[in-house]
Amino acid sequence: MSEYEATGRTVDEAVEKAITELGIRKDNAKVEVMDEPSQGILGILGNKSAKVLVKPIFEPKEFLEKYLKEMLVNMSIEGSITVEMDEEKLEAMIMGEDVGVLIGRRGKTLSDMQYIVNIVMRRQFKNLNKMTVIDVENYRARREKTLMQLARNVARKVSQDRYEQALEPMTPQERRIIHIALQDHPGIKTYSTGQEPYRKVIIAPN
Amino acid sequence: MKQLLEQIARGLVDEPEQVDVQQVESERLIVLELRVASDDMGKVIGKQGRIAKAIRTVVNAAAVKENKRVVVEIVQ
Repeated sequence: MSEYEATGRTVDEAVEKAITELGIRKDNAKVEVMDEPSQGILGILGNKSAKVLVKPIFEPKEFLEKYLKEMLVNMSIEGSITVEMDEEKLEAMIMGEDVGVLIGRRGKTLSDMQYIVNIVMRRQFKNLNKMTVIDVENYRARREKTLMQLARNVARKVSQDRYEQALEPMTPQERRIIHIALQDHPGIKTYSTGQEPYRKVIIAPN
Repeated sequence: MKQLLEQIARGLVDEPEQVDVQQVESERLIVLELRVASDDMGKVIGKQGRIAKAIRTVVNAAAVKENKRVVVEIVQ
């Protein structure tokens, strides 16, 4: 639903109704007044209610692109942003020469930035049931490859030596990559231990 | 730096027009004082300070280039 027609006793009331229905914020609403309310004779006969048509100024995809662009400007970082949207997620890719600071140590800055942007997107679009994923210079794909390699190397060692090994603390997404990479690996099992944000994967002999 | 924090805070709160950031800068340190409507405090702090921590991470990433440390204070 990208636009909504609402009626009310006043224009404001009709607008309130429409933005609640659309799940957007007032500052992102474009309002077209279709009917001004009017008082009939003696305030009884021929009363006409206000009618408005409301649509978002920015759709989620455009909003995300604009939000991230503004963020780069505010951080004095040059980079380009592309946003894709599919059934389950909005995906933003940031590319550029000096965008590396957005990744941070082991992706910490990237994951914190993604956390904030997800909250902002949910505030702006209450009906949006998509997760927002942000990536910088393909970091996520590269990291996934590294983690899968690491998982296989450690697993081989564990199944030979029969001693369990703990990996360094990782985010839930990263631990998931390890568990999945090793789910069919013979002779070992994986589980996680510890409290966030220090929770880590243990690779143990079976 | 100030604009970055303002942008982030405005997107998180219910009353964006009440967001105010004061910047105090010394040689190596930038202190950013963030003020929001009292009902919005929780929205910039989050459960166990998780949102506040994330804000600090992102703001500090921007400060790396300037070779400075940034302290974000959320004040009443």
